[in-house]
Amino acid sequence: MRIGVFICHCGSNIAGTVDCPSVAATALKYPDVVFSTDTMYACSEPGQDAIIQAVKEKNLDGVVVASCTPRMHEQTFRRAVERAGLNRYMFEMANIREHVSWIGKTKDLNTGKASELVRMAVEKLRRNRPLTAKRFETTKRVLVIGGGVAGIQAALDCADGGQEVVLVEREQSIGGKMAKLDKTFPTVDCSSCVLGPKMVDIAQHPKITLYTCSEVESVGGYVGNFQVTVRRKATYVDWTKCTGCGLCVEKCPSRKHPDPFNENLCNAPSINIPFPQAIPKKAAINPVSCLMLTKGKCGACAKVCPVKCIDFEQKDELVTVDVGAIVVATGYDLFDWHKYPQYGEGRYKDVITSMQYERLLSASGPTGGHVKRPSDGKEPKNVVFIQCVGSRDKSVNRPYCSGFCCMYTAKQAILTKDHIPDSQSYVFYMDIRSPGKLYDEFTRRAMEEYGAQYVRGRVAMIYPKGDKLIVRGADTLAGTQVEVPADLVVLAVGAEAAKGAVQLGEKLRVAPDQYGFFVESHPKLKPVETNTAGVFLAGACQGPKDIPASVGQGSAAAAKVLGLLSKAMLESDPAVSRVNPARCVGCGKCIQTCPFGAIKEVQDRFGNPKAEVIDTVCQGCGICTVTCPQGAIQLEHFTDNQILAEVNALCPPKMFANYE
Amino acid sequence: MSQLDDLKTAIKSRLGELECVIGWEQGYDPLHATPLFIRSEADLDRLIIGPLAVHNLATYLTGYKGKKVGVVVKGCDSKSVVQLLNEKLINRDDVVIFGLCCDGVVSQRKIRAALPADPGFVESVEIGGDGMTVTVAGQAATLKFADVQADKCRICTTPDAIVSDVLVGTAHTPAPAASLACQDEFEAKSDAEKLEFWQETMSRCIRCYACRNACPMCVCRDYCIATSRDPLWLSQDNTPAENMMFQMVHVSHLAGRCTECGECERACPVDIPLMLLRRFMNKQVKDVFEHQAGAALEQTPPLLTFKVEEERINERGW
Repeated sequence: MRIGVFICHCGSNIAGTVDCPSVAATALKYPDVVFSTDTMYACSEPGQDAIIQAVKEKNLDGVVVASCTPRMHEQTFRRAVERAGLNRYMFEMANIREHVSWIGKTKDLNTGKASELVRMAVEKLRRNRPLTAKRFETTKRVLVIGGGVAGIQAALDCADGGQEVVLVEREQSIGGKMAKLDKTFPTVDCSSCVLGPKMVDIAQHPKITLYTCSEVESVGGYVGNFQVTVRRKATYVDWTKCTGCGLCVEKCPSRKHPDPFNENLCNAPSINIPFPQAIPKKAAINPVSCLMLTKGKCGACAKVCPVKCIDFEQKDELVTVDVGAIVVATGYDLFDWHKYPQYGEGRYKDVITSMQYERLLSASGPTGGHVKRPSDGKEPKNVVFIQCVGSRDKSVNRPYCSGFCCMYTAKQAILTKDHIPDSQSYVFYMDIRSPGKLYDEFTRRAMEEYGAQYVRGRVAMIYPKGDKLIVRGADTLAGTQVEVPADLVVLAVGAEAAKGAVQLGEKLRVAPDQYGFFVESHPKLKPVETNTAGVFLAGACQGPKDIPASVGQGSAAAAKVLGLLSKAMLESDPAVSRVNPARCVGCGKCIQTCPFGAIKEVQDRFGNPKAEVIDTVCQGCGICTVTCPQGAIQLEHFTDNQILAEVNALCPPKMFANYE
Repeated sequence: MSQLDDLKTAIKSRLGELECVIGWEQGYDPLHATPLFIRSEADLDRLIIGPLAVHNLATYLTGYKGKKVGVVVKGCDSKSVVQLLNEKLINRDDVVIFGLCCDGVVSQRKIRAALPADPGFVESVEIGGDGMTVTVAGQAATLKFADVQADKCRICTTPDAIVSDVLVGTAHTPAPAASLACQDEFEAKSDAEKLEFWQETMSRCIRCYACRNACPMCVCRDYCIATSRDPLWLSQDNTPAENMMFQMVHVSHLAGRCTECGECERACPVDIPLMLLRRFMNKQVKDVFEHQAGAALEQTPPLLTFKVEEERINERGW
């Protein structure tokens, strides 16, 4: 074999702490290496051309590039090697940037380690063999999980792009968090007026199938051909007949259960349509509170329903959909502020969350848009806003900035003045974070035009005095302690990962970060891709985001989906498991452990049981290969012998060491 | 009727439908037993049971795949059968299990050490009461069972077969010791001492693979990774390092599967205490996965399943 080695300087990224020419000189001594050089930027056009030229001139049949992580440029170099006429798998990459130059300071140690990593790559390459990808067809259908504004945008864009879309939403209506908002910053336009038409578009689009009250039960398959099982939870109402007239909602006698859409500020009937603009506008029964379902008597809704669509016997239904790509847009949930003792841990009725305040401001909310405080229904005159509740606070494991609280607090201060002209707002803040078009101007308007008093400091405690709450905090700019008598305290609670996100991530094989937000493929260059091919992210499930950013990501994810499904055929990764039938004893252990169901039992011509890998289903995880006791199942491109060759390159067996 | 007579009657009634029934007979001398493959009633006369019937006959079952056979098992052997069934390596319908209520078996190694002369050929063995009288080269030696009992019997929790079609004998109430002195002593060693111990011990290994061949769970046989070039995990180099590597492969292939029947150690011609490794591994498996191989039917060994997150492995907390 003739191997060429290219040691990349990566400008000074690698060359700063690694002696690249010396690594190249050392590599020339490794077995089968006939050409070795160092290069300034291997990934640049001249760098790639140099590789291609060397392959041709030196008649190479394998290439090692020592540079950055394969996650960055493996595809780049594989394509370059292919352009040079070699099989793309006759290429190995040694990561001497992330694994060497960026983490070590001592140049000679780094140089030694870089040489060893190159040696491992050479030994692996010597055992590589050409592999060819298989081509397969894709299902031209998209699953969007989550019907918030990001999911709505992704679904509409995919459908407008010509793909069939299945939109799955856990709640009774789509709309997500945005549907609960009264107004949106920085334009203070009505949230439901801008979102409503999009929701209607979802309902009316011929290419969109909407499943609300539904959750993803399981996900099988692979990019281009996922099989997704959706659990459609029983609503006890036949939605094919329900007209959304609302008679049942009026007559329902069971109204003791809090209304989650109104953030538990009021109670909801057991059969309900959550809000006037709900899509689909259909009633559903809450089985926890319904008298008929819990106690077996009532049935008032069934009596009044003009189309007789109430069905107390309805059961959950499992629907299987085949899709080619999945967009995850599961959004966020709000931080549970009851962990903070300084805000009363829920003892004071007039300490509420920003989302509850949003419902009080909303004309479709429990107070019809008149701001009344929960304790006695009085109109508050002094409203105190406390920012960073569950954001930028390590003590509650939420060190990140939720990003949108500064802006919505300013919006709520402005709306407070609009609703109650003789009111005064106070905002306790840490910093004002308002980057974005017209954002900083907006917060300044709250201060300058609407007279909101901004106090820079944290709140130490809230205590009741008469019918007021005294908010005691620091004013760090004045260097004093301040006490503000408040009629209402609004906590600007931060965002956290949606409940169930981690469990959904496991089904989708998308990793959550330590706070439960899904990890994108690259923080800058692949913001909506995940490390699972065919699964994309949109909106706040990837990290806290405001509406414009979520909508932007929804469209971005849709563009990725459309790009993927525009190809007639996809190529499968040939680095999949393969069974050597001569060694297989048919014990079936690999079949038991395979998380993807990619191995089946077949019989050879003598009737002996043997394992067989289904190429397109195998994800190349390698669990079967470590399960098989006799090594009969091997992962192509990562065979035991290839891995062992790498290990032996690092820790040579004594016998070889003695010869040198 | 004695336990042996009961067993013979039971075997006789089923023999017609079976390829053979695997039991024990006297071997080359009265001290050593050897497996007996009973194909006819005449063979039945040679059947023996008792403290000398040490072999775990479950080892032969996978070799009869597709044929219906009978097997005589002690409590410990029955765990191997359970494990083979759980791994679907044998079919329950294809095996008739004659279970014994076992009083314990001897360790040939301990007997050899206790005898005054090298037992090249034992003239006679008389078993009775709490011991046995062994005559070698004209000299009779009386040995107490308690002294020559196999290690596994001392910590045995299942003297009676836990799965059987026919169970003969009187049920026992197991009274296992908490641990074995040899195991405690080994585990108390420092890493350096353990390394030294294995270097010395493994230098004796002749890579005969008797441990592997005797193991009821080793089903790869001709395809064993120890003798394969692709993949090439082990060279044929007879060094302590390669020998130890083979044992580590063996142990890890048995993780969550080893029933501690002790056949590997019994079969070893150079007295390598292999059970030290097995017991240690089993302890880890029990700690992490709460799993004991062969303890019950319908269990799946933890390493033969896939779970995203194991309950007792903290993957995200560190």
